[in-house]
Amino acid sequence: MNRIINHPILGKSEDRKRISFTFNDKTYEAYENETIAAALLANGVRTLRVHEESGTPRGFYCNIGHCMECRVTVNNQVNIRACLTVVENNMIVESGKQHPNIVKRMVEQQ
Amino acid sequence: MNNIESVIICRCEEVTYGQLLSTAEKHQCTARELKLRTRAGMGFCGGRTCRVTVDRIVESAIPNISQAEIPLKYQPPIRPVSFGTVGDNIE
Amino acid sequence: MTDVIVIGAGPAGLAGAIACAQSGLKTVVIDEFIKPGGRLLGQLHEKPSGEWWNGIKESDRLTKEAQDLSVNIRCGVSVYNLEKEANKWSVHTNKGTLSASFVLIATGAAEYPIPLPGWTLPGVMSIGAAQVMTNVHRVQVGKKGIIIGANILAFAILNELQLAGIHVERIVLPEKGPLSGKAGVPNEVLKSLTDASKLAPSSFLRLGGRLMKSDGLRKMAIKFFPKNGVKMNGTPLLLRKAAVEIIGDQQVEGVRVADIDAEGKIILGSEKIYEADFVCIAGGLYPLAELAAVAGCPFQYIPELGGHVPHHSEIMETPLDGLFVAGNITGIESGKVAMAQGTTAGYSIAKRAGKGGIIDDLLQQAVQNVRTVREQAAIQFHPEINDGRKKIYEQWEELYTKKQNEYDDVKIG
Repeated sequence: MNRIINHPILGKSEDRKRISFTFNDKTYEAYENETIAAALLANGVRTLRVHEESGTPRGFYCNIGHCMECRVTVNNQVNIRACLTVVENNMIVESGKQHPNIVKRMVEQQ
Repeated sequence: MNNIESVIICRCEEVTYGQLLSTAEKHQCTARELKLRTRAGMGFCGGRTCRVTVDRIVESAIPNISQAEIPLKYQPPIRPVSFGTVGDNIE
Repeated sequence: MTDVIVIGAGPAGLAGAIACAQSGLKTVVIDEFIKPGGRLLGQLHEKPSGEWWNGIKESDRLTKEAQDLSVNIRCGVSVYNLEKEANKWSVHTNKGTLSASFVLIATGAAEYPIPLPGWTLPGVMSIGAAQVMTNVHRVQVGKKGIIIGANILAFAILNELQLAGIHVERIVLPEKGPLSGKAGVPNEVLKSLTDASKLAPSSFLRLGGRLMKSDGLRKMAIKFFPKNGVKMNGTPLLLRKAAVEIIGDQQVEGVRVADIDAEGKIILGSEKIYEADFVCIAGGLYPLAELAAVAGCPFQYIPELGGHVPHHSEIMETPLDGLFVAGNITGIESGKVAMAQGTTAGYSIAKRAGKGGIIDDLLQQAVQNVRTVREQAAIQFHPEINDGRKKIYEQWEELYTKKQNEYDDVKIG
């Protein structure tokens, strides 16, 4: 639904194989050879993680691997850039969790 | 205007413009010292998004320093790397 | 044994690899992205001739040409350090370490951010991110967007979004302040747009290129700049409105915008909220030179080239033996210039590697070709590009060539 199928210059997008993956325990459909970020956006998912400390929602910002905002956990491997990683069948993708930095809070309170 | 103080400059460490400016003014420090004091640019992306803004703040807060004099200093690793891969050779 | 490692599979890197391979050097190209092409991949615009410049086709052509010459192109490889060890360059990557006598850094550019309240919300992205999502991944970035920042890059990508049927409601300026610099001052923006009027986005601005040479006329022009903006292919360009805040709870819901005067000062009581589900921040490009920096290459800040650039000569060598640069890392220009520079760097490496024959002629032609392509460029990101180039080459002459000559004189004498 969120795909750009027809394009006046680039033409019709090629028919690619559909695969499925999960993001935060929910199953989604993706096209083969696309990035995790593209597959999730095509499914209407913008929030890829929350900030580790404050918990504010984050999505991809630069989409080419510079900003690291789209980092997710892929098959238990942490800090993987969703914008540079190709989604695979049955891949398990998860947002990072919020981990309040207790030491930092203590220092701030002193 | 009103809420510029609370604008996040470093997205990784959530350091605001207000924090950066007051630290720069108080300590009259180099870009490097400003980063160490506030943690701006020391987060996951290594300052890839905020470094130019942090340099601009140093430039605006400290008299007689121009962008041309702020050294372009980067520390490796400039991309995230897991311990397992360091030192491997490929051909 | 690899002779040359090229970092970056964009126009400069691929062209460089082709020239190296043609000269008989064993060449590897590495890139972080999922496919080769770099920034070429997103590019799509109509040339003055009416033909289309299709970056995907250009990437495919270069990739095939390189592969036909047995260049090994490896995607999904991130370089995290570059250092010289025992006369060879070690390129440390997430897939292990590669080494070779020659390295060509062709890492291109990164985007200047324009921080503003709410810019960490999902749905806010750099303008380049929207380009890649649209033309490379063919996924819609949203239904209703706002671009913050009016510059050549923003207009080029606006056009691409429109072609793909993505609805951009308006282009506004960032709020004037220490974080946005000149990008928040209508008079300054109009000046830079008229300077770049060769690629005028509308007949209004093209006309402006001739009319607005003097400051007085420009002030008048911005004064009379229509309140509803100038339409760029259907999207209003609002030079007298500034984004004050991006709003939304869990993701972008809209942008709070205020009217501004010709100097960017906010007109009190004029704030309004425009709905949007995506926002693109267009701060312009700067050379992505971090790898040259970790390798120990000296730098110079040259605003005409977009920021800090590594010291380099017109034949693309750096002061570090065996280290070469090409493309946007040397200054922000079009993909075609990057390709021409890549070819120059490739032949330059071949010459340094001791390849004889016609290499001197090829190198000379390649240098001449860079100049020609630059003269003919349809897109000029920095109008004073030639001044910037002159600065960096004169500096090279001063710092390196003269010293080398003196050294040679002593040796001979």
